[in-house]
Amino acid sequence: MILKDLDLVVEASEIVAVRGPNGSGKTTLLRLISTLLAPTRGSAHILGVDAADRQAVLGCRHRIALVGHVPALWPELTLAENISVLPNLRPLGAGPIAEALKTVGLAKAADRRADRASLGMQRRVEFARIRLNLPDVLLLDEAHAGLDAGAAALVEDTARLVQSNGGSVIVVSHEVARMQGALSRVLDLVDGRLEAAS
Amino acid sequence: MSGLLWGAMSVIRKDLLAEGRAGEVLTVTIPFGALALLFFPLSINTDLAVIRQIGPGIFWAVVLLFGILVTLRATAADPPQCRDLLLLSGVEPASIFLGRTAAGTLLLLVFELVLAPVMVVFYSPEGIAGWPWLFVVAGLVAIGLAALGTLAATLSTGLPSRSAIAPLLVAPLAAPILLAATETTDLLRTGQGIIRWILLLVAMDLALIIAGMLVAGPLEESMQ
Amino acid sequence: MKTQSVIGGAAVVVMGVGLFLAIEVPPEQVQGDFVKMLFIHVPSVMIAYLAFTVGLVGSLAYLATKNTSADRLAAASIEIGVVFTMLTLATGMIWGRPTWGVWWDWGDARMVSALFMLFFYLGYLALRRGVTDPKTRAGRTAVLGVVAFVQVPIVHFSVTWFRTLHQPATLFRPDVGNAPLDSVFVPPLLTALAAFLLVYLAFIRARYRLADRQDELAAAQMTSELAGSAVAEPILGGVHE
Repeated sequence: MILKDLDLVVEASEIVAVRGPNGSGKTTLLRLISTLLAPTRGSAHILGVDAADRQAVLGCRHRIALVGHVPALWPELTLAENISVLPNLRPLGAGPIAEALKTVGLAKAADRRADRASLGMQRRVEFARIRLNLPDVLLLDEAHAGLDAGAAALVEDTARLVQSNGGSVIVVSHEVARMQGALSRVLDLVDGRLEAAS
Repeated sequence: MSGLLWGAMSVIRKDLLAEGRAGEVLTVTIPFGALALLFFPLSINTDLAVIRQIGPGIFWAVVLLFGILVTLRATAADPPQCRDLLLLSGVEPASIFLGRTAAGTLLLLVFELVLAPVMVVFYSPEGIAGWPWLFVVAGLVAIGLAALGTLAATLSTGLPSRSAIAPLLVAPLAAPILLAATETTDLLRTGQGIIRWILLLVAMDLALIIAGMLVAGPLEESMQ
Repeated sequence: MKTQSVIGGAAVVVMGVGLFLAIEVPPEQVQGDFVKMLFIHVPSVMIAYLAFTVGLVGSLAYLATKNTSADRLAAASIEIGVVFTMLTLATGMIWGRPTWGVWWDWGDARMVSALFMLFFYLGYLALRRGVTDPKTRAGRTAVLGVVAFVQVPIVHFSVTWFRTLHQPATLFRPDVGNAPLDSVFVPPLLTALAAFLLVYLAFIRARYRLADRQDELAAAQMTSELAGSAVAEPILGGVHE
């Protein structure tokens, strides 16, 4: 058991940060909220759907976005293809995708293979995806890791964009200070439960 | 249902694109399979009569054994974070299975089509009257093997011993496919009806695809 | 521990009785004393079927309830099933050599299908060894335990479906009243079956308990700790003493 007696309610348009030492279960918490992981005990409702109902969960997953420690890019595909290959982004067409890549500063690198792009560039692709299809729940797991100042600003900007669209954002980070201004609340994950930060 | 197919389409597109870039099937598996075809005449003897007779059977055995490698190619396994991304893009696990099986089927067909002339050249098999039927058999074999391989690849995702375990899981269940393929080829040569074996292949393919789609969800949950 | 010894002891006693009865059976006209291989061959295949059936039930139960004891039961049973399948194939080959003149007959559907079944279950065991996390392992192998069972009826009825060299089924055949068995064979065969059943029970009990302990050990090392307790603050400027 990694998490226990954990209570968390996140409202729409909130940006909540969660801090905690290594191995405290921050990633597990985000995977639970993302519906990828089913709770073994207790209950969780994400976007009004009971996480225990694994069939219903399938229907709401496209409204959730997760940015994990390792960027989710297929190494053989180009940066642009890594966006257009997704079934929910493909209908947008090449124009908006090129536009989004330009927004995140990758206009020149669109045709570069992902395995030849740096970590920061890969991160930027992930934010381009999110900006093309703003999720109702955005989960950021150490999304700042390895980013330069410009890219870090992109993290906060994207979070605010989701917020202004009525979505909620949960940030797990050791570097909460990097987006202090945007946060509604800061919580500490201690001994498997959440406490409001002092 | 349309969501299921739409998701599967993007998996097919992604798999074929990635395989096109990586070139594992074309530059590694196909030459290796062709080489395997050359090993049998060397190891038995060079008596033409014997070689002519065993050619088609050896062909199917090589297709099934080396075809397993096609279904287990590196690009057919998504890195875990990419799998999460697909799921959170609304692609259902059953859709991923379906798409991956379809992409594997296409690559296996290419594999069979390249290896068939190699077999004909090196074994000079006797002419078969109803040979166009063999395309149907090749397609059905490809579907069944792709479904089996996808299932085994999913079961062994992320294991260090993956490349050894997955073939061990596929090969025994592929034995009926091998039997059906070789029997059909034999019956065609002697001009007998093959419909029973074709039906067996169709039934096996359907059963494997349905089973794969049904277990995709529970399997996905157990990966987390 | 005590129950274990009782079952084990009973297995030894019943097996002794079976052995005595088997020796008492007169040699058969055509096959001579080789016919007595039957008393090992038939019970071991029956126990293998039973073991794989328990494996199927355990796998299904795990998928339905996520109860890890069902997973352990399935794994223990399948492992024993593999051993008995090997014993079946070995005795079959030893009997085939003097009777048919070959160790292995490729035309025999029963032998070939049983061999493939053995390999598939070996794959099941390999997969179990490959996955270390008990929960992940249970989920993956349960699916396989269900799929693999398809082969059991194929092996059993292959003799009926494809007419080949192999003897028709001795037990569990469609035409029960018309058993091909000489009545002198029945007592030793049933005794041997009882003995093998006891061996199966003793094995599965031991194997299940072992798996239980192994999972306990793994759990104690990995998951019992509450979040955060595995990592302590590093001591800055400190050195090990």
